[in-house]
Amino acid sequence: MKSYDILIIGAGSVGTPLSYYLAEKGMKVGVIEQNASTGRGQNRAAIGGLRATFSDPAKIKICAVSINEISHMKENHGIDVDWVEGGYIYPIFNEAQEKSLKNLLTLQKSFGLDIDWVSAEEVKERVPGIQSEGLRGGTFSPHDGSASPIKTTGAFYRLARGKNVEFHFNEKVLSMEVSGGKINSVKTDRDSYSADLIINAAGPFSREIGDMCGVKIPVSPECHEAGITEPVEYFLRPMVVDIRPDDISLNYYFYQNYEGQFVFCITPKPPISGTDIDNTSSFMPQMVERMLALYPRLRNLRIRRTWRGLYPMTPDGFPIVGRTKEISNLFLATGMCGQGYMIGSGLGKILSEIIVNDSHDYDFILEQLTLYRDFSGDEMLK
Amino acid sequence: MTRIGKHPVLDVPQDRKEVEFYFDGQKMVGYEGEAVSSALFANGIRRFSVHKRGNTPQGIFCANGQCSQCTVIIDGFPQKSCITPLRAGMKIETMIGVPKIVEDDRPLGKYERRNEVCDVLVIGGGPSGLTSTIELAKLGFKVILVDDKAKLGGKLLLQTHKFFGSEQDCFAGTRGIDIAHKLEEEVRSYPNVKIFTETSVIGVFKDKKAGLFVKNRNYVTVDFSGLILSSGAREKSVVFPGNDLPGVYGAGAFQTLVNRDLVKAASKILIIGSGNVGLIGAYHALQAGIQVAAIVEIAPNITGYKVHADKIKRMGVPIYLGTTVIAAEGNGRLEKVTVAEVDNCWNPILETARTYDVDTLLVAVGLSSADELYTLAEQYGFNVIKTGDCGEIAEASSAMIGGRIAGLNMAKSLGRNDIVIDESLYKKAEILKSRPGKTHELEIPELTAQFRPKFTCLQEIPCNPCTTVCAKKAIRLKNRLGTIMDTPYFDGECLACGMCVAACPGLAVSLVRKCSDTKAEIVLPYEFNCTAKEGDTMPLTDIDGKVLESGRITKIAYNKKYKTYLITFEVSAENAPLIAGIRVQDESVTKPRDKADFIAIPENGVVCRCEHVTVKEIVDFIRENEVRDVNQLKQIRVGMGACGSKTCSVLMPRIFKMAGVDWSEVTPGRKRPLTVETPMFAIINEEEK
Repeated sequence: MKSYDILIIGAGSVGTPLSYYLAEKGMKVGVIEQNASTGRGQNRAAIGGLRATFSDPAKIKICAVSINEISHMKENHGIDVDWVEGGYIYPIFNEAQEKSLKNLLTLQKSFGLDIDWVSAEEVKERVPGIQSEGLRGGTFSPHDGSASPIKTTGAFYRLARGKNVEFHFNEKVLSMEVSGGKINSVKTDRDSYSADLIINAAGPFSREIGDMCGVKIPVSPECHEAGITEPVEYFLRPMVVDIRPDDISLNYYFYQNYEGQFVFCITPKPPISGTDIDNTSSFMPQMVERMLALYPRLRNLRIRRTWRGLYPMTPDGFPIVGRTKEISNLFLATGMCGQGYMIGSGLGKILSEIIVNDSHDYDFILEQLTLYRDFSGDEMLK
Repeated sequence: MTRIGKHPVLDVPQDRKEVEFYFDGQKMVGYEGEAVSSALFANGIRRFSVHKRGNTPQGIFCANGQCSQCTVIIDGFPQKSCITPLRAGMKIETMIGVPKIVEDDRPLGKYERRNEVCDVLVIGGGPSGLTSTIELAKLGFKVILVDDKAKLGGKLLLQTHKFFGSEQDCFAGTRGIDIAHKLEEEVRSYPNVKIFTETSVIGVFKDKKAGLFVKNRNYVTVDFSGLILSSGAREKSVVFPGNDLPGVYGAGAFQTLVNRDLVKAASKILIIGSGNVGLIGAYHALQAGIQVAAIVEIAPNITGYKVHADKIKRMGVPIYLGTTVIAAEGNGRLEKVTVAEVDNCWNPILETARTYDVDTLLVAVGLSSADELYTLAEQYGFNVIKTGDCGEIAEASSAMIGGRIAGLNMAKSLGRNDIVIDESLYKKAEILKSRPGKTHELEIPELTAQFRPKFTCLQEIPCNPCTTVCAKKAIRLKNRLGTIMDTPYFDGECLACGMCVAACPGLAVSLVRKCSDTKAEIVLPYEFNCTAKEGDTMPLTDIDGKVLESGRITKIAYNKKYKTYLITFEVSAENAPLIAGIRVQDESVTKPRDKADFIAIPENGVVCRCEHVTVKEIVDFIRENEVRDVNQLKQIRVGMGACGSKTCSVLMPRIFKMAGVDWSEVTPGRKRPLTVETPMFAIINEEEK
């Protein structure tokens, strides 16, 4: 039996940075990961977008911290994670969407976010070659951006190891021994562990982890497919999000990354639930039809690779973060709904302050993202 | 242009259409329909791109659609030049760093999805793909056969040498190119076979479809019940400093340039690797009038067939065992190669270094199966069979039989339970892919006044054309193993027809007779352009290439079927039993510089060719981060390039070992579609404007 101050289940977008921030504050941290290395669950499938321009206080705060940590990774730790401050742009083609986004802007601005409505001309300037028929303008947030998920998680892994975090790869949690409302031990296929605090950061598999100790966690995986092209000379700075739904998709988005490659992803309608991550033949044509209708310039780009990843979805589209009533030494950091990469770094830093320093500065986050909310809301900017 | 105008074995087609094209603004001439890479080579171009990392010049590596090193900008678009046919007026440019996108902002035009349905999709139209298609077609199955080249035949098209194997099973004694034509003709005769050439299968998908990227323009998905992977193999890379310099490329690429496209791709080459591919590569070079400085082999023994090696040595190409390349150098393109002997741990002994002035270094260190689509299909639970080199690296003769078996097994799996596959077919396939067996002592025959065949075929290999062409059935195989692995002997009457001499793929048969106590006559095969006349002399060697004497030509005959000259020499009776071949290359060609001259920085060898990542960068990263999962190397771009780690994944066990990590502890990289980069316009078949 190995014992730690804190044991994290899952070395992904959330667990890896969290392990670092906790260890940095002096905790003895262990991480159990069923895959062979960090980020091999869903972090490998993240496309790298980072934004703080949400519509709720918790995610706005967490992601602002994420952007701050990731954009300063080179400065603070000497590790380049390909951060680009390209902004996010939502081109808008219909009145209803213009109205709802503009309404949202008021709220977003009230949180101090740098986001505004820009004219059709400005959208065309920022997305050179965009199909502008019917274009009404859009929202633009200049301080959002992108970075490399694998490099970011790799960086946190390196930092965590520097702080003596112990990673146990290729190990699957099988059961937990619980008594008196406390997890006494966590058993894997190789070893068993005890810890003062156990953090469930198992993403799409966090429901199963919860079941092992009798905590119901309403997280179910949905799958999304994504792709990447060959690199070309840089010409598009922002992430472009087209929120017009069609018969089979809700929205899609793409951007040009640090290497000059275009990365793209689509949100299927209705959602595809399950844990299947095998490639489908329908993704590419569906994605390309939509993307080229908006941005024909991409027609000559060659697609290099496609893949599929899981969104650990919650009923209301918001993460689940905080302690549980049922188990005194269990903490949840899961249900990122496909935004684990954006949220992970900031959440890690914030949770380290909550857990180690007993900070109450972030109580509003814990209140908003508690497991015991009614999950009746709906995230507007999923 | 550096074209091969006359070839001893290949017919140089006279009907090729010359077309003009431009390379970096300069007007050039090539042949319509040939691979752009070949046209560029013929015009002396070796640098195809400049990598963004370190501004390093890049040339071709595989010329087989597998890697992506031959990418150039064609009419604005980056494309693999080795699988793009040349057309008149093409504007080709060196790809410098990251290319610019072609700004075509016209609204999306009409587009459509295309889908085909078949019983069996056969991926790869080489020897095994063609024979499996034939078996399925005969049984009435609807087959789609896909190949990424313009012509069917796969590697058969590159094989100008006569085939090993048995004559009735796999056309032994016939040249690969001729076999390809026979098989293609048969495949094309079936109305239930649909053929897609210049088509890459870019992926197989969970919803039981395959995606076909057709002629650089369209995308067709295919529904299938069964899948046969006959996608062949790809050249293995090897790591040494300068391994990415233009002029360093695969032996298969060389065969493509020289044999398929008749480009005189080099003046003088050095070959790394003594497997059959390397040995035959040397032979093909000599036939094309290209000098061969040496073959180096890191192992203590020759890894290919002994007959091939002996043949090469007799022609005047030295093979250095326990020797490797330590540096390939040149200003923008290969100019010199330095080799050195290695110690027991395969570390080079720098004191033994020798430098050769060559313009080309052929990498012939083996092949690895192009089987990633098989792996994916199997994961998805599809009815899939792999055959030919995709299943196991072996001779094309074995692939042809393996393909038939694959076709029949596929038919059975699709409900044809009545089919019984003859056990003998499996046996033959097994024998044909056997590794060489024992080597026996050279037997020195008693000479008489009558001609008789004499063999320098000592190693057990699957081959028997000499026995089948003998009109008197006087050549038989020794009954040691009871298979075609056995070596031949002569017993009976000899008509001196010379068929055995002409048919032997190893040039290991000669006819010999005694004329007097001091003089003898010997008939030797010669597969080169022959300008010699009766009365001229040629240097003649023993089995290993040692020159014994200069023989005077008394007769020159030509065997049309085998495209082989049979040259009769007058020689001394003393040497006659030992003479085995004709030296064709002067010793001076194989001399290194007087003094080795090199800068070897072993850490600079390139592992990931697409992203230009060196062995040092990877080893350091593995050590610093205690990497045990190849996927983590993506942090330093390894495997993130166009080829999808097809070339570098094979090198990983060795690289991890260099970093002190046992491969058994390491999780291999995950490969995902697409296998070939495909433009978005093609994915939706956007109408051409």
